[in-house]
Amino acid sequence: MSRLARCTIALVVLSLGACQVGERSSSSDSSSAPSHPAAETVNLTFTYGSEKEEWIKNVTEAFNREDHKTAAGKFVHVEAFPMGSGELIDELLNGGRQADIASPASAAFIKLGNVQSRVKTGKDLIGSTDSLVLSPVVIAMWKPMAEALGWPAKSVGWSDILALARDSRGWAAHGHPEWGPFRFGHTSPESSNSGLISIFAEAYAATGKKAGLTVAEVENPKTAQFIAGIESSVVHYGSSTGFFGKKMFANGPQYLSAAVLYENMVIESYSPNYSMPFPVVAIYPKEGTFWSDHPVGIVNREWVTQEKQQAAKVYIDYLLAKPQQEKAIPYGFRPGSTEVPLAAPIDGAHGVDPREPKTTLEVPAPEVMDAILKIWHANKKHADVALVFDTSGSMKDDHKIENAREGALQLISNLSDDDVFTLLPFSNQPQFAVKHVALSSGRAGVQQSISGLWPSGGTALYDAIDMAYRDQMAATEKDSGKIAAIVVLTDGEDRDSHMSLDDLLKEIQFDNEHHTVRVFTIAYGSDARKDVLKRIADATQAKSYEGTPQNIRTILRDISTFF
Amino acid sequence: MSNVPNQPDGPRATFLGKVVIFAFIIACAYGAYRLFVQGRGKTGGGSPASAAKSLFGGTEAPTAEIGISYGTEKKNWIEWAVKEFANTDNGKRIKINLLPMGSLEGAQALVSGDQRIHVWSPASSLYKDIFVQDWQLKYSKAPIVKEESLALSPMVFVMWDERYQAFKTKYGELNFDTIAKALTEQGGWQAIAGKPEWGLFKFGHTNPNESNSGLMTLVLMAYSKAGKNKNLTPADVLEPKFQQQLTTIEKAVSLSSSTGTMMREMVLKGPSAYDAVFVYENVAIDYLKSAAGRWGDIHVIYPKQNMWNDNPYYVIDATWSNADQRKAAELFLEFMMSEPVQKQALTHGFRPGNPNVPVIFPQSPFVTFQQFGLRNDIGNICEYPKAEVINNLLAAWQRSR
Repeated sequence: MSRLARCTIALVVLSLGACQVGERSSSSDSSSAPSHPAAETVNLTFTYGSEKEEWIKNVTEAFNREDHKTAAGKFVHVEAFPMGSGELIDELLNGGRQADIASPASAAFIKLGNVQSRVKTGKDLIGSTDSLVLSPVVIAMWKPMAEALGWPAKSVGWSDILALARDSRGWAAHGHPEWGPFRFGHTSPESSNSGLISIFAEAYAATGKKAGLTVAEVENPKTAQFIAGIESSVVHYGSSTGFFGKKMFANGPQYLSAAVLYENMVIESYSPNYSMPFPVVAIYPKEGTFWSDHPVGIVNREWVTQEKQQAAKVYIDYLLAKPQQEKAIPYGFRPGSTEVPLAAPIDGAHGVDPREPKTTLEVPAPEVMDAILKIWHANKKHADVALVFDTSGSMKDDHKIENAREGALQLISNLSDDDVFTLLPFSNQPQFAVKHVALSSGRAGVQQSISGLWPSGGTALYDAIDMAYRDQMAATEKDSGKIAAIVVLTDGEDRDSHMSLDDLLKEIQFDNEHHTVRVFTIAYGSDARKDVLKRIADATQAKSYEGTPQNIRTILRDISTFF
Repeated sequence: MSNVPNQPDGPRATFLGKVVIFAFIIACAYGAYRLFVQGRGKTGGGSPASAAKSLFGGTEAPTAEIGISYGTEKKNWIEWAVKEFANTDNGKRIKINLLPMGSLEGAQALVSGDQRIHVWSPASSLYKDIFVQDWQLKYSKAPIVKEESLALSPMVFVMWDERYQAFKTKYGELNFDTIAKALTEQGGWQAIAGKPEWGLFKFGHTNPNESNSGLMTLVLMAYSKAGKNKNLTPADVLEPKFQQQLTTIEKAVSLSSSTGTMMREMVLKGPSAYDAVFVYENVAIDYLKSAAGRWGDIHVIYPKQNMWNDNPYYVIDATWSNADQRKAAELFLEFMMSEPVQKQALTHGFRPGNPNVPVIFPQSPFVTFQQFGLRNDIGNICEYPKAEVINNLLAAWQRSR
């Protein structure tokens, strides 16, 4: 294969490795230890896309309880680990956990992994597969908004959604000025399957094609213009489709008008856990969509012995058998077995249509994928990011300051030249180190400032956030075309601020008009006030993380996917 | 083992001889089938286990474990049979391991010494001669100690009924010519039926380098264009109109590595994945009910020129296979050919290899599923082409992609 294609695959697979970090650890979700002697048990490791975590957890625990055996009479015990699909493939390619069975979110990941494996070892990474469950990619939208577009009588497509995203009148163009601008969400195409699919769909809509997309068509200036118009309505990006869905359902239509999600998440929105002003419905784009088909297969590596292969077959057969397939339906998944008919909640009462989708889009060739990613990079919504960095004396302990500096440098390296950066270190009081520096020209200076941070003094956390917030508000008034965000990294409790927490929360409360700056928080180390930092992030509809010197770089890399 | 497309022409007479033998086996199988459909046989009854008891009542089965490499088109039937066999007296001593593999993949695994395999049961005898030749080169002896056709199945187009009706209105009938036209319509279904929401016309068949049904597709496409049932020649393959049609179809087709997997995907993903596919009749029948419950009915359409897939069962004389395992393989073959198991084959859409089992009776799928387009008479059966024709077809297919 071409160098270009290999680069694309490497880019997608490696960047997908960043998925899901911070939101969950990839620990086993079927933790019951084998209950039989080691000599009588075949232990299997199963890594899988975290989208189906609840179902896999349920059926794997049952499998381990039921004492299934191989033909040779040995007990089979499975330890299952939910992961991002890219991370899963990356780990298999590099050895890592040495999983015996794998199931990413879509067959595209298997294809990508096999191509890389053939280059490296001459053989496939994963052999033949079966779909465990299925879920189409849909545009999830609040029902009254979908109806304003003519749904369900009229077929709605990517082109309609994307035209709305580019229309400066927003919902006023459809008779609803009270709904404000159209707010669109999709994950980062470098981190998430649904994000990648979103920008493929944008490229198809820009060219009016459904298949056979060429590099020349993607590189046409009209395509770039079209994509830039859509991306301008994106609220922010992110690595996890699940996070987008949960935020949309929790925060209502003022947060997002529509987002690219999986069908099973639309069904999940009908859970009593969410108190929503309106139902959400799935729009199956008239031009076509893509399937998330959750293929499962045995890993083709030397550590998977013949005995393990036989045991893996027992487990896979169990997952595909009718009782387990029936258990997938309540989680909103379409079964991978043709023996199990579709049933509630895969129905209109839960916002979805089991007779859809009617057609699919063609997955572009590797060189076209590469061209689309480049066009997206150049035309995505850019960011103005402020890093509020704790340099109090306690940051000396446990190499916290050194690792945090490394993480900050990682964040800078993940931002693009068109992004703007501010650094606000604080101890007893905050003081700007750099303000709104364009990274195209000032990247080296920013890196130098970060490398020169050292710990000393107290913690005026609230004053620092207040200062950064006012500064970002002022910048947003001048240029509203960027994602305005603050990243707060702190290891302790506020002891030196003039401002109270309540006053700060009132000031930064997201109102969808003027107060739209998002504050991402990292509770760094065991002394940080996780509860307080979560309240701050929640008030601005952003995300809070719990960090350690060991994972801080990964967390800051994950935060960078929002921009 | 050599791959079919890479097979050098070799001594023509030898290969021709093999083709003749192959054609003879097909003819025998077809003859047996015709005799049976003419009502010669009588219906058997009872459970597979009781039938097995009567068949093998006086024989002490060995204690043995054997592996069967089989094509996924037989998955549901053979998995059912293995479970039933386990309930028989013989089955309690004989352990069967099923190894799903493509027809060519199974042959390659055997030649390269996959000691799990004691029986090879591909979709058709198409690859038998190549396998025998490669085995003899490596082991200097004949590989097959016993063989029998388990069941028969022709090729069919399968299409979602709603879309088939719209297709027929536009083009009159479904064949390779009209498929090529539909694949090149600007705007896809908008141009075919005024249905832009159906997207582009999507046709699927399996990869001829990996799956028997893919090669069958190319052969029948060539016969269809040449308008004949036998003596397909390299000149027919090289004929510009055929080359053009092949290129048109193959540039737009969706390829799958296995027939069963492709049909399953059609049912699971509905018309969003495939409007029409070219598969074995039994695979279509096996999925008729589950498809109707999801996306609406599917329709089965027989091509004017067709070929039989004979599902041979080859007991292999491998160094890793002992006398007990070969005996066990033969006992399982007898079980597979028993009337109850052959009747079960019918429910999975196969036309039985045992002539005592009738096709037409009230509960037969060929009666109950007639509204889906199933029929007993399948039209003109074409002969298998010569090796040079197959090689030319595969080379042309490679160029067309």
